Amino acid sequence: MRRWAILCAVALTAAAGCGGGGPAGSGSGKLSDGKVVFGVLNDQSGVYAQLSGKNSVEAVEMAMADYKAKYGDKAVVKELAVESVDHQNKPDIANAKAAELYDRKAVDAILDVPTSSAALKVADVAKEKKKLYFNITAATTDLTGKACNKYTFHYAYDTYMLANGTGKTVTDQGAKNWYLVYPDYQFGQDMTASFEAAIKKAGGSVVAKDPAPFPNASGDFSTYLLKAPSLTPKPHVLGTMQAGAELVALVKQYNEFKLREKGVGLAVGLMFLTDIHSLTPDALAGTTYTDAWYWNYDLKSREFADRFQKETGTRPTFAHAANYSAAMQYLEAVQATGTDNADEIVKYLEGRTVEDVFLRNGKIRAEDHRVVHDAYLAQVKPSKEVAEPWDYVKVLKTIPAAEAFRAPSADCKL
Amino acid sequence: MLDIENLSASYGEAQVLRGVSMSAGKGEVVTLCGRNGAGKTTLLRCVMGLLPYTGRVSLDGNDLARKASYQRARLGVGWVPDDRGTYATLTVAESLSLRVSKDGWPLQRVYDAFPNLYARRASAATKLSGGEQQMLALARVLRMGSRLMLCDEPTEGLSPLLVEQVGAILRQAKEHGVTVLLVEQNLHFAATVADKYYLLAEGEVRPTTPDDKELLTYLGV
Amino acid sequence: MAQHIFNGLVGGSFLALVALGLAVIFGMLRVVNFAHGAIYMLGAFLALSMPSFWWALILVPLVLAAGGMVLERTLVHRLAKLDPLYNFLLTFGLTLIFQDLVKWRFGVQSTPYPTPGGLTGSVDFGAFDFPAYRVFVLAMAALICFGVWFLLSRTRVGLIVRASTERPELTQALGINVGRWVTPVFGFGCALAGLAGVLAAPMRAVHPLMGADLIIVVFAVVVIGGLGSIFGSVAAAFVIGVLQALSEAYLDSALVSQILVYLVMAVVLLWRPSGLFGREESPA
Repeated sequence: MRRWAILCAVALTAAAGCGGGGPAGSGSGKLSDGKVVFGVLNDQSGVYAQLSGKNSVEAVEMAMADYKAKYGDKAVVKELAVESVDHQNKPDIANAKAAELYDRKAVDAILDVPTSSAALKVADVAKEKKKLYFNITAATTDLTGKACNKYTFHYAYDTYMLANGTGKTVTDQGAKNWYLVYPDYQFGQDMTASFEAAIKKAGGSVVAKDPAPFPNASGDFSTYLLKAPSLTPKPHVLGTMQAGAELVALVKQYNEFKLREKGVGLAVGLMFLTDIHSLTPDALAGTTYTDAWYWNYDLKSREFADRFQKETGTRPTFAHAANYSAAMQYLEAVQATGTDNADEIVKYLEGRTVEDVFLRNGKIRAEDHRVVHDAYLAQVKPSKEVAEPWDYVKVLKTIPAAEAFRAPSADCKL
Repeated sequence: MLDIENLSASYGEAQVLRGVSMSAGKGEVVTLCGRNGAGKTTLLRCVMGLLPYTGRVSLDGNDLARKASYQRARLGVGWVPDDRGTYATLTVAESLSLRVSKDGWPLQRVYDAFPNLYARRASAATKLSGGEQQMLALARVLRMGSRLMLCDEPTEGLSPLLVEQVGAILRQAKEHGVTVLLVEQNLHFAATVADKYYLLAEGEVRPTTPDDKELLTYLGV
Repeated sequence: MAQHIFNGLVGGSFLALVALGLAVIFGMLRVVNFAHGAIYMLGAFLALSMPSFWWALILVPLVLAAGGMVLERTLVHRLAKLDPLYNFLLTFGLTLIFQDLVKWRFGVQSTPYPTPGGLTGSVDFGAFDFPAYRVFVLAMAALICFGVWFLLSRTRVGLIVRASTERPELTQALGINVGRWVTPVFGFGCALAGLAGVLAAPMRAVHPLMGADLIIVVFAVVVIGGLGSIFGSVAAAFVIGVLQALSEAYLDSALVSQILVYLVMAVVLLWRPSGLFGREESPA
């Protein structure tokens, strides 16, 4: 039996996954001579694969096609390519793959990179290799704080934006007492800190906060849901920082325990369109959250969404739109400067105001490379109000770009 | 009844048996002597079909080569293993009902012969004393109505009284025409039941007698 | 407190059903079926394609039992005589294949599954009320565990399975065709995992990796209970379920809840290397 116990222990370790980092490539980047290569580094098989994943590669290809169509013979970039790599949300894999993309695949700009810990590793690689990096799907404010660097741009959203939008607004609406549940890792901790700050600033208070195991192997959050109504003072709202499949499980169980009926509302820290689709809008009806972009916001976004659906068969999340936008803005910069030299591109982008399908009132801050733009306070509709597939959300309010993001951090020295 | 011809078998890398031939007639008790590690248990396991071998093992003239061990058991080969083969998850009564044959002893007869087993019929078999476990192993085979009993050191570690009881059972079986292949170190005990003797040494067997000088020297008696 | 213990028992129910199947299969085949988690996941996804939850509860275990038996006959069986590592690798590979097939068919996002009608309400226990569906899950798990106990301890089939599980070679030598029971037992274990999957669909996120996450905890549970010990696995599952719920409810750090099961496993292995209810394997 002892032997089997050992075998099982080995199995556990193997399954828990200790991704081995490959060797990081060496050598300095060489000019890619009129050819621009994008590297989409993201989760293509795990929990974040649906909200971004392979469809973000499609979005980047759409930007490439649009660039060619727009400039035709005048295009500076004659040859365009995209490389995509699955980083499995593991920082060491992200680190090794980013180096490989820059060095061996001659990638000019890395895009996407969900999972904060992986995103920060890639920022270090970008800095070392002096190559561009547009982070789309990671939430940590450290990318524009202590970990910021000259070649890294944080494009779509961050924990401050989410907390400031949802935490502040829901508290303002009268839900003063909060119970926060968060996954116990960097993202969840950052989110909780940001939410607490936003809630207190708006005059509310956090009754209790509970870190939940991450990853949560059983997919069960019922302990916290049982606890919520019995806390004193009774919380008005349960704020969950879980994401992806964990969010789906938690919301299912929130409904199962009938917390809404017991007077405990639900606020979600980070939610993507694909999460609502998984849960069905009824499971989330009335839930407020902050969105970086919504596909059915206006005609311009809708037109993009229609084309995206033709390519992928599904509606875009904000991550897809932001990947498109980042690729497009990079190509515009190359077109304008006539070079793919990273330092030249950075100089061109810094401080620029930009307007496109994703960036509304957008500005690329020179101080910390935070890309600021309008954000939206959104509410999930009940299914009877859903007029067409995927149109799950009603935009309650636009949060102006200037208010949506935090002021440049003193920690950031580019 | 049992005929073994030119049987060879290996245990891991080592060849343990080299061309063993021996036979046992109906109702005979045949004792197999040999030092520890000589291959006696290996020989019994080959007959039971639990180890691969070359050569021929036949029962009443029928070659058993293609028979799995459960088929050999059903043909009348009963195994009383050296560790007594006690189940922890089965009670005594359950151990006695694993497989029964109409030719075998009825349960009541077993309980009459072994009152201790009756008293502890609802206990886990591993809770029994060593002697009781040995009785259980024998009784299990009697229930199956085996015609050939392969007994691997059934008296080891038993008190003289229990050794006598084992002897009585073997003699009783023999009277009913059961053949016994007995692996035994205790020559005094063997002398009370055996009809003939073989010595297994260096992978080969030869017939012997209990007063064979060479045998006694070999066994260090 | 009472509600957290009750809730822990519900969590333990899933562990118990999956662990039970794993333990039965390990006992009989000496195969650590890594694919067991994937079968739990398949159970949940198959439930999606059934006309109703109630049909799924009956049909999915049957389908998976049949599938499991085919798997045993065609693949697992062939490696049975080799080092256990081969079957471990095989079932690990099967896990990846099942996961990718499901990803390909359903995508990686979670798929919605409603609470079955009639079980959407709550049950009032006085001090607390509890979702009716969870009460149902606990009752089902208790019923199944009791049923398996009855089958194993009170029927002839159970007698043979217990004997074969404990000492396959000896049982074979006592005239039982152990091989004949291997395939049905493998199928039965798969059916239990599938049933757990169906039960999970309405209350947990249905996604391709749901089993991969669970199986690791279940392995630990089986080791704690004692490999091959059926009673031990079930007992350990419920104990772990309750400890998990209590640690989440009363401790401020998620770290303890996160590593709880491994902590218990380490302590148990140091104290009793063969698990709480396991036995040292006796030499053949």
